[in-house]
Amino acid sequence: MTDDLDTTHIAAAPAAGTVGAAVAQGLLPGRVWLYSNYHCNIACRYCLTESGPAVARRELSPAAMLETAQQARELGFTDLGITGGETFLMPAMPELLAQLSAILPVVVLTNATLFGRRLLDRIRAVAGLPVAVQISLDRPDPDPNDAMRAPGNFAKVVAAIPALVERGVTVRIATTVESIADAELDRLCVLHRGLGVPDSEHVIRPVVRRGRAVTHALGVHAAQPDLPAELTVTADGAFWSPFGPTVRDGVLDTDLLLTRTTAPLSVPANTMLALMQARPPGADSTLNIR
Amino acid sequence: MTTVRLIEADQAPLLARPYYAGGDPGPIVAALAQVPELLQVALPFIGMALGPSGIDWRTKEIVIVRTSALAGCRYCVQAHTVVALDAGLTHREVAALRGELPVSELFTAARELALLRWIEIVSEGSGPVDDDARRDVLAHWADHEVVELTAVIGATLLLNRFATALGLPTSADTLDRLAREGLR
Repeated sequence: MTDDLDTTHIAAAPAAGTVGAAVAQGLLPGRVWLYSNYHCNIACRYCLTESGPAVARRELSPAAMLETAQQARELGFTDLGITGGETFLMPAMPELLAQLSAILPVVVLTNATLFGRRLLDRIRAVAGLPVAVQISLDRPDPDPNDAMRAPGNFAKVVAAIPALVERGVTVRIATTVESIADAELDRLCVLHRGLGVPDSEHVIRPVVRRGRAVTHALGVHAAQPDLPAELTVTADGAFWSPFGPTVRDGVLDTDLLLTRTTAPLSVPANTMLALMQARPPGADSTLNIR
Repeated sequence: MTTVRLIEADQAPLLARPYYAGGDPGPIVAALAQVPELLQVALPFIGMALGPSGIDWRTKEIVIVRTSALAGCRYCVQAHTVVALDAGLTHREVAALRGELPVSELFTAARELALLRWIEIVSEGSGPVDDDARRDVLAHWADHEVVELTAVIGATLLLNRFATALGLPTSADTLDRLAREGLR
């Protein structure tokens, strides 16, 4: 008797032509990025957003992030990414991550320099939850790592990673480099394995020549087709990619701006879908930018 | 003059890029590009209202220049003085529309005089429009023409206030042409 079937746990297939269908078919990436803030306690030489201690914060409120996450799930997106700025400068971040992960799995990007005892205690809130903490570590040695990032960065990172792992937090390492010799990369991998992070949680990506990387003539040029179409929400609007809302000489780049409207999320999401559908086949790039 | 950032081609948002394909799109597009989803719907409307349509070009430019002059929009008067000349209006007709000569001396056709009265009533008035005024314009223009001409006046007023409030700059090319025409 079909009338007796309990269908409450059967998810309806997304309607054809919708964002949800495009995500389900792999035409549109499933992750939505949120720029929680733009300020940072350090100022990396290749920072896309010229982040640093003195810049405007341009924060998304926790309530706005939760609402965006909820709408993302309803539209059919599958994952969230939280980036900045230094995300853990947002006072409520550990608890917010736990709340966000109840909506969709989360990866949060951090420089891992703020994990003192109190923050380590609070980050236990995400242990066992679908939250990955992605930490920047570019080189296996302090001097070349810190030259691109900040004095003392390496020491703080290699202290924070095992502390997080010990607390049951999933840690991912992101290495952002113009180039790296095989031997140096081998030593970096030995290092992260020793810190408790397996190879499967290590990503290597190129420096993209936007933001402060332009000032220092670093990285690869990346046009729209080179960048993954990952819907990115900021206090300034919605962008094509997390590499979109970059800042140069203190001015926000608008070349990858989708819409100023971010709520309802369907406005930028449908705009992105229409732009994706208008692209000719094979128009994406292989720069491995992620 | 203080104004908003006018988006240049290398910073054109994705939805705005088609409007930059032919070169400098002008300050109205360059300002609206700050909000691409608004630009995307506004430009087709503005293009249809102010561009080629069932209303002839001369008449459209009479509406745009006169409305802009009555609204005191320096940017729109300068930009459309050039367009009106290209549309075949004489220097003296354009000068009259700009308020520099009496319009009744330059425009004598009953249809155009009715239109000029209608422009004044729509663009300068507030509150209800007198029934006699509607009867007057409808005596000389078909219903669909009055609908479109009224929409053109409204669209022009929108741009008048937009350009004036934001202090949009007149392009160097337009200023050069106006200087050559003696209509700056």
